[in-house]
Amino acid sequence: MSFVTQKPLELILARNLMSALSTPAFLVDEGGVLVFYNEAAGMMLGKRFEELGTVEADEWGQLFGPFDEGGEPIPYDDLPLVAAVRDGRPAHSELEIHSADGTSHQVEVSAFPILTAHGSQGGIAIFWPTGASGNGANPA
Amino acid sequence: MKVKLWGTRGSIPSPGPETIRYGGNTSCVGVTLSDGSVLALDAGTGIRCLGLALGDQPARLHILLTHLHLDHIQGLVFFAPAFRPQTEIVIWGPASPEASLRDRIARYISAPLSPVEVRELPCDVSFRHCPETEWEIGSARVRAASVAHRGPTLGYRIDDGGSSLAYIPDHEPALGADLDQLEDDWISGLGLARDASLLIHDGQYADSEYPGHVGWGHSALSHSLAFARRAEAERSVLFHHDPMHSDDFLDGLAVEARERWQALGGEPGSLELGVERSEFELPAYAPRAAAPA
Repeated sequence: MSFVTQKPLELILARNLMSALSTPAFLVDEGGVLVFYNEAAGMMLGKRFEELGTVEADEWGQLFGPFDEGGEPIPYDDLPLVAAVRDGRPAHSELEIHSADGTSHQVEVSAFPILTAHGSQGGIAIFWPTGASGNGANPA
Repeated sequence: MKVKLWGTRGSIPSPGPETIRYGGNTSCVGVTLSDGSVLALDAGTGIRCLGLALGDQPARLHILLTHLHLDHIQGLVFFAPAFRPQTEIVIWGPASPEASLRDRIARYISAPLSPVEVRELPCDVSFRHCPETEWEIGSARVRAASVAHRGPTLGYRIDDGGSSLAYIPDHEPALGADLDQLEDDWISGLGLARDASLLIHDGQYADSEYPGHVGWGHSALSHSLAFARRAEAERSVLFHHDPMHSDDFLDGLAVEARERWQALGGEPGSLELGVERSEFELPAYAPRAAAPA
């Protein structure tokens, strides 16, 4: 006999929706663990989710080295998705991310928590490309 | 644990000569636990006949509602035990941020839809939101989990005497997803159904009908079969038949289902279509003896 612990239904439905979107999107659980990102996000990061699998809460931010407008690394706790899950409210910011091949992307990120009758189940971040991609150099 | 199907139809009662064999009553399954406790899973029109069959017993019973669509609650005001002052009825169901379970059910059991109000029911009735964690009813351990359907909807698993029943009558686990590509924990309802002695699962649509009903909250035959295979239940019953499906149509669907089930590697005879009044006895298993030290 094997025991299955089902993910919260809200995460399952969110993943199904995100799978159908052409907009890059991340999904984290209530503990901040990155449990899914869609194909569009995989193209932006240069790595498919299936290659990577789940990533612990304090590690996934390092996947794409987000930087602020001044080129400074953004601390994990200040990322919109982290703030949304922690504070239970939407968060939005502009930032720069780097894909696996070093390409940089200017994006806006909108994040919101998934709140249910049983409390927070995690959060979703959607990435909106805003500028030309460039190869490379860390603006910092 | 004894299980009896009192209503196998979905959506709307469908009586008539075309549905006399599979039945026209909407969802209701009666469960008698090993200690004699009685549960009704859903309260569609099938619960009327369950109530008549119960007679004056038992003094206390539980109704577990998966959700509050009309085909799952319509029989409540025709359930004879609800009109006996000596009966205690506990109604379990999904929580909603909008209103309490009692208030949501009272929208149906109230004028002008009903001649009686909840407060007028002679029985001692109480309403409870299903907890997130497992709880006990009689000799059983009961677990509820949200499943993919329209609106707050639960599936149930009842473990009693070493046997288990999983009940997920309204379910669209393949909405926006390919079940074959998903890990177990990402499949709605699979945690309830895995290794069950008996799985009762949505089987509303033929594959050819599904494209016109995507998002309506029900499964196509392919989805039901794929889910049942992943669940690895000992026995599976497809349930919640579409009201448009005549007995002849369901006979054909049953043949197709059995053939495809075996092609998928399923045990012959371990999958069938639900037939009203059919019964299942789930044997009690003795606890496995501890290995010698």
